[in-house]
Amino acid sequence: MPARGVRRGVDSGAARARSVSPETVVRAILIGGALAFVLFALPVLLSTYWIKVLTAVAIFAVVALGLNVLFGRAGLVSLGQIALLAVGGWIAARFLFLTSLPFPVVLLLAGLLTAAVGTLLGLPALRLSGLHLALITLMFAGVVAIVVPTTNFPNGGSGVLGHTESSLGSLAIRRPSIAHSDEAYFRYTVIVAALMFLLALAHVSAKAGRAWSAIRHSEPAALAAGVNITLYKLYAFTLASFMTGVAGGLYAGNVGKLYSYQFSGARTIDSVSLMAVVLMGGIFSLWGAVVAAVLQQLLPALLNDWFAFFRENPDFLFVIFGVGLLQVLVTAPEGLVTQFPRDMRNLGRLIIKPFRRRSGAAKGPP
Amino acid sequence: MFPTDFELYKPFFVTGLALGGVYALSGVGIVVLYRATGVLNLAFGAIGAMGALISWTLINHTSFPDWASYLACIVFGGLVTFAYGVIFGPPLADRDPLVKAAGTLGLTLILLGLMSYLWPPFGRTMLLPTSNYSYHVGFAGVDVTQTQIIGLAFGVLVTFLVGAFLRFTKLGTAMRALADDREITSTLGVPVRRVEAAAWLGSGLIAGAAGLLLSDLVGLDAVNLTFLVISSLAAALIARLRSLVATMVAGLAVGLCTALLTPILFWPNASFPVAKYQYASPFVIAIVALLFLARRRVVTVARTEG
Repeated sequence: MPARGVRRGVDSGAARARSVSPETVVRAILIGGALAFVLFALPVLLSTYWIKVLTAVAIFAVVALGLNVLFGRAGLVSLGQIALLAVGGWIAARFLFLTSLPFPVVLLLAGLLTAAVGTLLGLPALRLSGLHLALITLMFAGVVAIVVPTTNFPNGGSGVLGHTESSLGSLAIRRPSIAHSDEAYFRYTVIVAALMFLLALAHVSAKAGRAWSAIRHSEPAALAAGVNITLYKLYAFTLASFMTGVAGGLYAGNVGKLYSYQFSGARTIDSVSLMAVVLMGGIFSLWGAVVAAVLQQLLPALLNDWFAFFRENPDFLFVIFGVGLLQVLVTAPEGLVTQFPRDMRNLGRLIIKPFRRRSGAAKGPP
Repeated sequence: MFPTDFELYKPFFVTGLALGGVYALSGVGIVVLYRATGVLNLAFGAIGAMGALISWTLINHTSFPDWASYLACIVFGGLVTFAYGVIFGPPLADRDPLVKAAGTLGLTLILLGLMSYLWPPFGRTMLLPTSNYSYHVGFAGVDVTQTQIIGLAFGVLVTFLVGAFLRFTKLGTAMRALADDREITSTLGVPVRRVEAAAWLGSGLIAGAAGLLLSDLVGLDAVNLTFLVISSLAAALIARLRSLVATMVAGLAVGLCTALLTPILFWPNASFPVAKYQYASPFVIAIVALLFLARRRVVTVARTEG
């Protein structure tokens, strides 16, 4: 199993080096077209409310992407990604108030510092089994949920924490100078998110991806094959945390003001529901991260819009996520990205079947 | 401000031991299930929370006798856990422990969603009748309620009862065998599914009882009770998900640590409010303990390849 995974990776890498297959070209054009549609058509077509929702989708796609790479590629689970998002948001907000550095630089800083925190968190991964690691990250989420209400988020105050209680003294977190309006910030977010997907792709289809695949399938085999397990496990954590940190910075700019209740004890469940939607989306394809973000951010907004029931009981959505998670675990480990097209194909076959039989009977010899 | 006056800490010894007893109780429930079935039940807290809310409704909105309402909480815990185990245990049986634990997170999400729908959050309180009786312990100079005594005594008692059950009964021996090697156990003719179902039921009853006690000792709040499972998990993890007695001791220690931080408002200086972080202590303890216990490098070999 591991040998096959590694070899397949090498083969595709070699093939790509020789020539670019037409399939890849078509796919790149399709993705480029979709990106252009999202960047230029959507801000014209949709109202400001939906643009803000879609900005959140783009941000959470990056968070989901981090977990997707961590879980799907390296086989490591973190239940503390939303806590890391809070850390990234805090760092970004602190730098934005403290310095006049350009926004992209702050995003990069937030990413790097969050990556440092995440790497520290990933250290136990080197020695513990996946289950213990998941629990450590869950406990990290618990700690953050308790610390955040006390430290609060920077809002233009002084001191290390940069938080002021007075509502007069508090300021909104600044956005990049080229993207003040909601539409412009949406485009900005989508471009940064696309860059993050490219970053993930660059890792997954290269040496790191093959090393993770080997580790996921069998650690002893990977070790025997000369894969530096320690390095690559930690690196997966670093990469995922970097992405989450950048997403935290984007999140801070999107909401303008970060409040502790968004990340306090009751919201620990968000880290869990994130894992649920990432699994539902599918962890073996990067597109799964987009599906996950749509499920977590767009679906609640749509349900709120359509049904009074969900406006009154927003948390009822957790029931759907819980059922979805169990369904994915039991029947479809590959998630929606793979399962949905397959189901549709099967459904199509089921519908066509009677017609085909009839036409076949008509053509047949009497 | 680091109060050195011992008098200040006295009442928190009592609350800490009571809370620790319930952590120990939950920890034992988690460890037994994990050893017998390989499933780490992360829905433990949510199950207890929903049981407690059901019994709150029965007490306040129906004419059910109180004792039946309390019993309903425990029975609910047993039934839900049993049902989950029977339905989702077998299909996930030969998957990674991580996947099995993730499945129980699905149950957690379902229960939390249902609770937020059926019991919209507002201040509910659960006062067990045993909280009305308190004793003054003369030599220590503190007041202790009956519920607190039950919390501690129940935790210790269940630890030893479950330990004895595992050691001396046939079913218990079968569970221990399952914990060691499932395949060999099944070839020896042990009805694996039935033994597992028994473990699910027993663990669920403990979840219900723990939820009921915690709703009185800590407060009846769905989300809070759901995530209190992390404190019990901390105890179970310190015991490396193996020893019951170690789980109990760790549970008591975690409870004591958390409670004893209450009077320390600031330490070492005014910028660090210790008491506000007291509920983070179980997690910190568990993380440190795990790092310490995992000093040696272990290469994990997955048993089943997907």
